[in-house]
Amino acid sequence: MRKLLVPSLAVAIAAAFVGTRAWADSTDSARVGDIQYGNALDPTGWAPLLWADPRGFSWLHAGMMRTPSGVLYPYPPRREDAGSPLYKNSDWVYSGFLQLGYLHVGGDTQAEFLRQYAGWRDGLAPGLFALYADDPKTGQYLEFRGSRLSGDDQYYRLRSGQYGVYKVEAFYRDIPHHVTTSAYPLWNGVGSTDLTLPAPLMPGGSTPPEVAAVEKTRPRQTVGATRRREGLGLEAKLYRDWSGYISIVNEKRTGNGLWGGPMYLNYILEDNGGALETVRPIDFTTTDVSMGLRDAGTVWQFQLNYTGSFFRDHEDQLNFQSPFALRNVAGVPQVANIHQGQFSLEPDNDSHNLRAELSRSLKWNGQLSLATAWGTMRQNDPLLPPVTCTGTGGVFISPSADYTFNCANWNTGAALSRQTAGARIDTGLLDAKLTLRPTSRLGWHAGVRWYREDNKTNYLAFNPLTGQYGYIAENGSQGSIIPGQIGIFDPRNPLFASYVTQVRAIPFGYSDTVFDTGVDWRLGENNTLNLTYSFDRNQPKYRERKRVNEQRIKLAWVDRAIGKGTLRVDYEFAYRNGGPYNYNPYELFYSTALPGFVTPPLGNVAFTTDAMRKYDLANRVEHKFHATLIYPIGATATISAIVYATRDDYAAAIGRQATRNRGFDLSWDWQPSPMTSMNANLGRDDSSLDFSNVGDNENVTGGPGRGDPSLGGPLFPLANQWQGIDHERDYNAGLTLRHDFGRVRADFSYTYTYALGRIGYAFASAGALPITQQPFAGDVGNGFPDNHYHINTLQLGFDIAFSRMLGLRVFDVFETGSFADWHYLGLQGNLVIDHRIYTDLGPQPHYSANLIGVLLNVKL
Amino acid sequence: MPPVSAMVSPSDRALRCRHRRAGALLFVFAVAGALPGARHAAAQVVHPAVSATLTQRDSDRILPTLTAQAAAEAGDGSPHAAPLPASALTTEDFRRMLPRTDMRSDADANAHPHPHAFLDNGAATSFDAAPIAKNPLAPDAIAIGATSCIACHALENLQASHSLHVRAFRAGAAGTGAAAACESCHGPGSAHARDPTKPGSIIAFTRDAVTPIDAQTGVCLACHEGGARQDWMGSVHQQHELACTDCHNPMARLSAEGALADHSINEVCSTCHQDIRDKFNRRSHMPLPEGQMSCVDCHNPHGTLTADLIKTDTVNGTCYACHAEKRGPFLFEHAPVRESCLTCHDPHGSNQEALLTLPVPMLCQQCHTMTGHPNDLLTTAGLATGPAPDERLIGRACLTCHANIHGSNNPSGSRFHK
Repeated sequence: MRKLLVPSLAVAIAAAFVGTRAWADSTDSARVGDIQYGNALDPTGWAPLLWADPRGFSWLHAGMMRTPSGVLYPYPPRREDAGSPLYKNSDWVYSGFLQLGYLHVGGDTQAEFLRQYAGWRDGLAPGLFALYADDPKTGQYLEFRGSRLSGDDQYYRLRSGQYGVYKVEAFYRDIPHHVTTSAYPLWNGVGSTDLTLPAPLMPGGSTPPEVAAVEKTRPRQTVGATRRREGLGLEAKLYRDWSGYISIVNEKRTGNGLWGGPMYLNYILEDNGGALETVRPIDFTTTDVSMGLRDAGTVWQFQLNYTGSFFRDHEDQLNFQSPFALRNVAGVPQVANIHQGQFSLEPDNDSHNLRAELSRSLKWNGQLSLATAWGTMRQNDPLLPPVTCTGTGGVFISPSADYTFNCANWNTGAALSRQTAGARIDTGLLDAKLTLRPTSRLGWHAGVRWYREDNKTNYLAFNPLTGQYGYIAENGSQGSIIPGQIGIFDPRNPLFASYVTQVRAIPFGYSDTVFDTGVDWRLGENNTLNLTYSFDRNQPKYRERKRVNEQRIKLAWVDRAIGKGTLRVDYEFAYRNGGPYNYNPYELFYSTALPGFVTPPLGNVAFTTDAMRKYDLANRVEHKFHATLIYPIGATATISAIVYATRDDYAAAIGRQATRNRGFDLSWDWQPSPMTSMNANLGRDDSSLDFSNVGDNENVTGGPGRGDPSLGGPLFPLANQWQGIDHERDYNAGLTLRHDFGRVRADFSYTYTYALGRIGYAFASAGALPITQQPFAGDVGNGFPDNHYHINTLQLGFDIAFSRMLGLRVFDVFETGSFADWHYLGLQGNLVIDHRIYTDLGPQPHYSANLIGVLLNVKL
Repeated sequence: MPPVSAMVSPSDRALRCRHRRAGALLFVFAVAGALPGARHAAAQVVHPAVSATLTQRDSDRILPTLTAQAAAEAGDGSPHAAPLPASALTTEDFRRMLPRTDMRSDADANAHPHPHAFLDNGAATSFDAAPIAKNPLAPDAIAIGATSCIACHALENLQASHSLHVRAFRAGAAGTGAAAACESCHGPGSAHARDPTKPGSIIAFTRDAVTPIDAQTGVCLACHEGGARQDWMGSVHQQHELACTDCHNPMARLSAEGALADHSINEVCSTCHQDIRDKFNRRSHMPLPEGQMSCVDCHNPHGTLTADLIKTDTVNGTCYACHAEKRGPFLFEHAPVRESCLTCHDPHGSNQEALLTLPVPMLCQQCHTMTGHPNDLLTTAGLATGPAPDERLIGRACLTCHANIHGSNNPSGSRFHK
């Protein structure tokens, strides 16, 4: 990579100084990431500089003009009319701003929703440091912006260059993401790859009360990660309309995250199995490289872009200990002592993408665009051995029913059919688009797009040491509880010759072809209709359908005749169908496809019901409606309104069946003068989702009819069908007010968010429930307790000007919230439930926090 | 730049009259300025009726006076105004300046679209080669130069001086003495100067403009075509007749960057996409309200190869840009994960954790009906407070065991719990 980068950078730098004449063409809006620099204190990254100039925008008229759609432009901010010379007789002029002061956070300072993406802390904080300097004669400029809330929430960005000739950008930033602030991990070694039990707990030798007692002593921790990103980029004109760019961004992500730890099902096996909520380390490095050439001519336009991304995970595994002993359900002496678990963490990976795009202007105000791209994603990390156990795993009932395995045959790399993953997916893209506008009243466009993901991964789960196929499930715990459910297929051993297990990686991939065409028809001066039709053929590999077609018709209407407002209305209808639905397309990758597999006399248990339709492939009818109105009120106010609704119906007896969504937003903006502005908004959103499932009849899985996948059959009786319904409702409201009194400027804002969620259910009989819950079927009602998320945020601030150069900002933000989620219900003080160990208490049910800031404003 | 036609309040008669008088003067000035400075080339751009009304002596007499007046009214210390004391200007100065001031509207420039004037001292940028926009509603108008515009639009000039767009033009002009940046976007100003309130006399970019949206966009694309805007034609924003100035305001510095029409990218987008803005208020969301990222981190509003303005070839490609650990490929893939992150996540915001579209386990149970434990109806009885606690409901639910749900690289990880 280095060999490629150095000469490219040199060429680009050299080009910058010989390049001369094409227009400025920032790559920003085409680049993914690092477009925005701000923080919770100042999301715009510019707020202290946004107070309006009392003079307004024009001597010729009062007020501000409106955008073509009818929205009022904000008044321009107050600025010094001319910058200060950088030094005596310098052609360079500069202006700058420094905001520096003290922040204090009070109340529930560790509230999760307060800190989710904000690194608040007490102390000195440079709220904003902004500097701009340029030489008006040469067009050379330098721009710097930075802010720091804490060590894990800060940004600094420097740009320099010459207008229209070249631009150099460098940045450094830290972005926090706090996943939970109420974590009580049981284990030692959080943040590392090895989680060990604290004394006096013994792996595989402790009881739930003993674990609970230790758990209560564990300290509260925050789980989350910080992204530290640094980047360098150069963009330069090369020759005439040609420009080039190159950028390198490096990200170091460190921290930890909530994770899992299975030791087989506990819900059905009291005092057995285990479900452990662990904490994994996050220690990632990602280096992204982007470089390209562009020709932005008036007739021909061309882009050639390469992006490379190189991800490195410095921790490839997570090992954890379980304190609980396992018992086999056969009731025979336990020969296995499985008390350790392991996860492979994400492998290193490399990605390359090369894209070329060529456009040519045509007669009739037309354009023809052709694009092609090729990409690849690859990783070849060393594979971990299938298990970490030592000794013997499994269950020994008798010499003729020996369901054990020797860990030594599986806890080594020699147990693998290959030592590295060798995973690779190649992608390809072809895109062609033709647009013509022969008259001012009529336009037409058509396009074809083809995209493919070709998964070349080929892994066979075969153990050369034992000659067996498959894998050891859950590090051996499952097979040490349930005799025979080790996870392996062995055609030479009758005990394992009928075992159904996955033996190959499934190389999921797809190709997608989309054709679309549409007309734009202008009806008079103020109305435009747009009609678009598209046909999308998706051809997934190794999925339930080999072909999925979706046709879509969209009608859009833009009207500018309602007062001085603009109305945009869209209606969209889509119909999706496809080829035959195969409820089990994975046979090829299971032991059932291997030679020597012995089908049991009663047949294999049906994989799933044939009535299931996965919602990304199911037949579907969709209606979408969206209307936006922007309506000026006089010269100083604007009302905007949005109304929308979506309706999806899936042809599925089992699976997702329907979704509904509707809502509105109303907003009122008022800016009677540069001194005053106000906004009020209100919104509501309602959505629902219906789905159905069917519990299998566990009495049949060992008897006749177990191979019948039909809904209503013996394995999936209609009596076991159940229905789930999700309802969600969201309210949003806000009010902001700013007024400039002269020496004092005041700002006030209030935001209100309330989200309500409810999962309801209905079932035909208790057979839909798990065996453990069936005795309580009469008491479970028709749904879970309501979830809610309720936040009120109030902010009041004053900017006091002492002089033209010096001022003070004083502000207070008060936030209060409440939260409920049944996932966490009952965990408070009770993080150990039988063989389940939980780490996260979830967000705080109630919190109140207050942030006070006193910041000195200095104009430089 | 906002159009003068929109600036003048129809009800403000006094102002309009004063403006008209100024406009009439400016028109005379404009024509006079154009003729002597570019007589050899301007015949094709100056209306014959106008050119016949002025003599060399007229322009010699009028120009210095008006220029001084304009410069005095501007009084802004702007980069190009300061080094050009009006009292020192002569017709010869304008002869030298105006062709370039007119941003190469002369025949010679038209014949040679890549002049090298700015190379003489190596100081100017490409902006001084910007063409003057053609106004379809005033085809006979001629350029009059920025100094003329500023004579009336003095405050606009001041505010625009802080915008990156205009500063770039100014720098371009600094090397050549040109002063007609306004007309690069607004088209030649003579018709507007003659009748400032006449709609369409100048290219305007606001709600009251009669300039068609396509024409407005065409002006911007004349310089900004290609690159990030190469797929503008046929994009959803183009089809909905958005103009560049719906999102951008190059006449004032309202935002930290991007010459936006509001104070940040997110505020601009939420002008129309309020429903999406509301989603960012939900329990789990991308860090837009916290200012850490913007809509444009994932979407290119100027058009892309995808219908939803996603920047990369696929949705997943965009997600991998920040979540590279999810890219794999993994030894064992989860099919819907590989095809689209949107199968399970709403990237704008969700009432569930981790942007999920439904609570787990219900999210999983939409697809997983396999025999065994996936297809049971889980009820309140299985909560931690219930009589039969069930790990499929509590905490991370399914993900407590199937933690590697995005794919596993473990030889024993086909069910993502290894």
